[in-house]
Amino acid sequence: MAEVQVKDSSGKGGKVRSQKQPPHVDLTPMVDLAFLLITFFMLVTTFNKPNVMDLGLPAKPKDPQQQPDTEIDLSNSISLIIGKDNRIFYHQVAAADLNEQTLQETSFDREGITKVIEQAKARAKDQTKFTVIIKPTDDAVYKNFVDILDEMAITKNEIYGITDVKSNEQAVYEKKVGATSAPAAPAADTN
Amino acid sequence: MARVKPKRHNIRVDMTAMTDVSFLLLTFFILTAQFNVPDVETVTTPSSISEKLLPDASLMTVLSTTDGKFYFTPVDNGTERMQLLDKMGEKYGLKFTNQEKVEFTKVQSVGVPMNQLKGYLNLSEEDKKAFKSQTGVPLDSTNKQLIDWVQQSLAVNPGYKLAIKGDVETKYPKVKALFEGLRDIDFLKFWLITSQEVAQ
Repeated sequence: MAEVQVKDSSGKGGKVRSQKQPPHVDLTPMVDLAFLLITFFMLVTTFNKPNVMDLGLPAKPKDPQQQPDTEIDLSNSISLIIGKDNRIFYHQVAAADLNEQTLQETSFDREGITKVIEQAKARAKDQTKFTVIIKPTDDAVYKNFVDILDEMAITKNEIYGITDVKSNEQAVYEKKVGATSAPAAPAADTN
Repeated sequence: MARVKPKRHNIRVDMTAMTDVSFLLLTFFILTAQFNVPDVETVTTPSSISEKLLPDASLMTVLSTTDGKFYFTPVDNGTERMQLLDKMGEKYGLKFTNQEKVEFTKVQSVGVPMNQLKGYLNLSEEDKKAFKSQTGVPLDSTNKQLIDWVQQSLAVNPGYKLAIKGDVETKYPKVKALFEGLRDIDFLKFWLITSQEVAQ
């Protein structure tokens, strides 16, 4: 194995020497170190991969006139409007009934938006068709958008759409944002 | 008759074999470890519950920073990068020298408009490192260079995948412009890079 071969040099007048034990090295610390490094490299190689979430976009219709005008039953859908300062609003009413009272505000957490979506889904006439319509305003940031997509994954909503805010919704949203926390002059773009 | 007791000597395990194995594994891991190259600009990705890991497959990355600049990282494969540069050169009427092509295979990502690309490729290594783009790759309604990069990459090899790494604070209109541009070229499936949700 790994013992060092010590030659019996039986010369020099034939003195009787005590048999020398071959020296042995304690390898335990070296093995410890090696395993420590192995563990480190194993962890590093598996954890430096970031997570990803899938996003599929709908194809653009070749002819803008041919947009299918799908009318969704109001109870089967919920519109989420993502606003500034991480605020989120939702409503389930027709365009004509939308005002500052019907556009409600919630928060980006389990108690807020998750509950809202789940309750709306439970109330839906046809749960298989329950659609979440995501409408980020121009004040939204990327994080809000990803949070909402994440929320879709949490609430297991397969059907959701991402569209622009309609002008009447924009108007109500601006009123509401202005009414609740009259912000100072809109922050100028720092670009 | 008393039995002859075998002479006791303390047990010593020979660790040589174990050391061999562990160092073999160690060398393997050290050699296969790929160290993360830091991004051109620091980007904090939003968190999600997704547990899917980013695949290794030929991947292009679009980095969008806090102030809405875009960087495009082409795939790693050198020859395919050269083809990509040729195609982009054709499209924008630029000729690249061999020297510049070789440089392009080494760059980490593209963060300059096409008209500045030549200048950027001819910078020295240190200058490249210190280079901070004022504009990033342009993307607006008239100048869709970022989308062109993606499109030309796909023309080189349709199998490429795209990952988008956006900063938490990126303004949504910027992201929307990117999505719309990708829809324009009918490239509809891609990944958003997120970080693991921290338990609350």
